[in-house]
Amino acid sequence: MSGPAEVTEKAARAAAPTRGRSLARVATARRQWIVMAVLLAVACYAPFQLVPFRVFQLTMVLVYAVALLGLNLLVGHAGQISLGHGAFFAVGAYGSAIMIDRWDTPHLATLPVAAAVAFALGLALGLPAMRLRGLYLALVTLAIAIFLVPLLKRFEAVTGGSMGLTLGKPVPPAWTGLAEDQWLYFLALAVTVVAFLLAHGLLRSRVGRALHAVRDNEAAAEVMGVRLSFYKTLAFAWSAMFAGAAGCVYTWVIGFVSPDSFALTLSITLLASIVVGGLGSFSGPLLGGLFMMFVPSISQDVNDAAPGVIFGLLIIAVMYVAPTGLAGLAGRMTRSITKILRKE
Amino acid sequence: MSENAFLTVTDLRAGYGGARVLHGVSLAVGQGEICAILGPNGAGKTTLLRALSGMVRVRGDVRLDGADLSGRSPDTIARQGVAHVPEGRGTFMPLTVEENLRLGAFVRRDRRSLRGLRDLRGRRGGSAVDADLERVHTYFPVLKTRLKQVAGSLSGGEQQMLAIGRALMLRPRLLLLDEPSLGLAPMVTQELFRIVRAVNEEERTTVVVVEQNAHLALSIAQQAHVLESGRIVLSGSAEQIRADEQVAQSYLGYRV
Ligand SMILES: Nc1ncnc2c1ncn2[C@@H]1O[C@H](COP(=O)(O)OP(=O)(O)OP(=O)(O)O)[C@@H](O)[C@H]1O
Ligand SMILES: [Mg+2]
Repeated sequence: MSGPAEVTEKAARAAAPTRGRSLARVATARRQWIVMAVLLAVACYAPFQLVPFRVFQLTMVLVYAVALLGLNLLVGHAGQISLGHGAFFAVGAYGSAIMIDRWDTPHLATLPVAAAVAFALGLALGLPAMRLRGLYLALVTLAIAIFLVPLLKRFEAVTGGSMGLTLGKPVPPAWTGLAEDQWLYFLALAVTVVAFLLAHGLLRSRVGRALHAVRDNEAAAEVMGVRLSFYKTLAFAWSAMFAGAAGCVYTWVIGFVSPDSFALTLSITLLASIVVGGLGSFSGPLLGGLFMMFVPSISQDVNDAAPGVIFGLLIIAVMYVAPTGLAGLAGRMTRSITKILRKE
Repeated sequence: MSENAFLTVTDLRAGYGGARVLHGVSLAVGQGEICAILGPNGAGKTTLLRALSGMVRVRGDVRLDGADLSGRSPDTIARQGVAHVPEGRGTFMPLTVEENLRLGAFVRRDRRSLRGLRDLRGRRGGSAVDADLERVHTYFPVLKTRLKQVAGSLSGGEQQMLAIGRALMLRPRLLLLDEPSLGLAPMVTQELFRIVRAVNEEERTTVVVVEQNAHLALSIAQQAHVLESGRIVLSGSAEQIRADEQVAQSYLGYRV
């Protein structure tokens, strides 16, 4: 079968003008996947070496990373702003909690439902909101976040009001031999990996191209036939879905939801974290998740009276040192290290 | 021209919010023709092109090969084969030249792969879009050497070429060019117009070009219109317009 046909095909491909570029792309893509594989291996090993509290912290990093992955799609890749993503996180968290609380739904089964509800809500709210731009859009999403807490308190019968809902945590199946914290960690890790692959696939598709065009030049994208409102709304709904999924896992991990956990600060912190992590970058959500988990507690250690001030100052410091976020800083550092190594 | 024109615009009115800019513009362009739009700053030339590509609301009638375009959304109009190269180019700065070009084919039905990667793996053969990429390279050889570069790092002239190249990726039936010479050296501008002419001749693409450089525009156009304050004040063949005393004074910089 192979033979001459294959040879000519190879020759034809060798002559293709895109070859050099594609090879470079393959190389960077391959490097990215290798880094991911190593990270994943470390991530699978870590919970067996750490005390439960640390495992819990890492689990929360993953939860935040999933939410930030969604926000990165919207802000980093589609260039739209949302000050209300905490609301979708809360929808996922409460969706899962209510299903577990009312109908004894198995924890894992609540994930697709929570994600779907957040997606639908994102679609419904995005449709009118995405006709707006910049500050107007920011205001509408802000309103969503502000509206949520009183709403949760109001429907006490379902949401438990200000008292919130307390739930059991998922029980690790016996065959795994894992402790509860480890099981939770691996659940969060699985969701994170799926979310990463999903986001990656989405960005490499036609949708991803359209989003980048919209981000970089709306008018030019429009005359090329990209339907602005359609793609913006889609990006909003997808990012809401990721936030909802993250919220759902949050419920599993914490075992408790109350309106005050999802106050406006959550939305603002999410936005700050993805900017700090690195907008539009591959590793930004993960770095942002680390930032979101550890920096507030570090701030608390530094100055117990005003953790908010320290947190704010740290955000300013990171943006000053690394205007493209931690991901950009990490990239710069790797490059200079390889340069130094090459010289020697 | 006239009855069986390819693009007919009748009593077109358009504006921004309450402010009316075009007060009833009518013109017709024959298939495969180049039509130049001249006029002073603020006359509404850009608005006219935006109206044709659906970016501003319009009243009146716009027909392309008989199909009604008035009131259609920009993406519908793009799907009809109208490519608009906006004033100031509008390339996607952070994306590479190749990504920019491939995005030009966004609405095409025969696009098979929007990414080069698939072809390398050999899973998909060269698509129609790949062939068109080649075609654009023959018009703009400089782009071929810049494929991997981000558009933001191109010179002004190269960016304009990229913008036009990207428009060609749509395989347009109608090409709208808004001041392609803006900010470019005379040599580059001439080269650009030579290429536009070549595209027009080889692909039979109908072109509407808005241009401050009236000399150049009239040198490649068959017919021209002068727009002032949202109204067409003069129409005719390129020679007629060039010979017009008023035009000569206002736009060509000499007296006949
Ligand atoms: N986005 C906008 N919103 C409101 N008014 C606008 C907008 N764009 C243009 N105008 C107004 O419409 C009128 C026509 O503008 P247009 O850009 O069509 O002129 P033009 O002929 O292209 O001028 P130039 O040669 O300077 O490019 C001007 O008075 C301008 O102020
Ligand atoms: Mg103009």
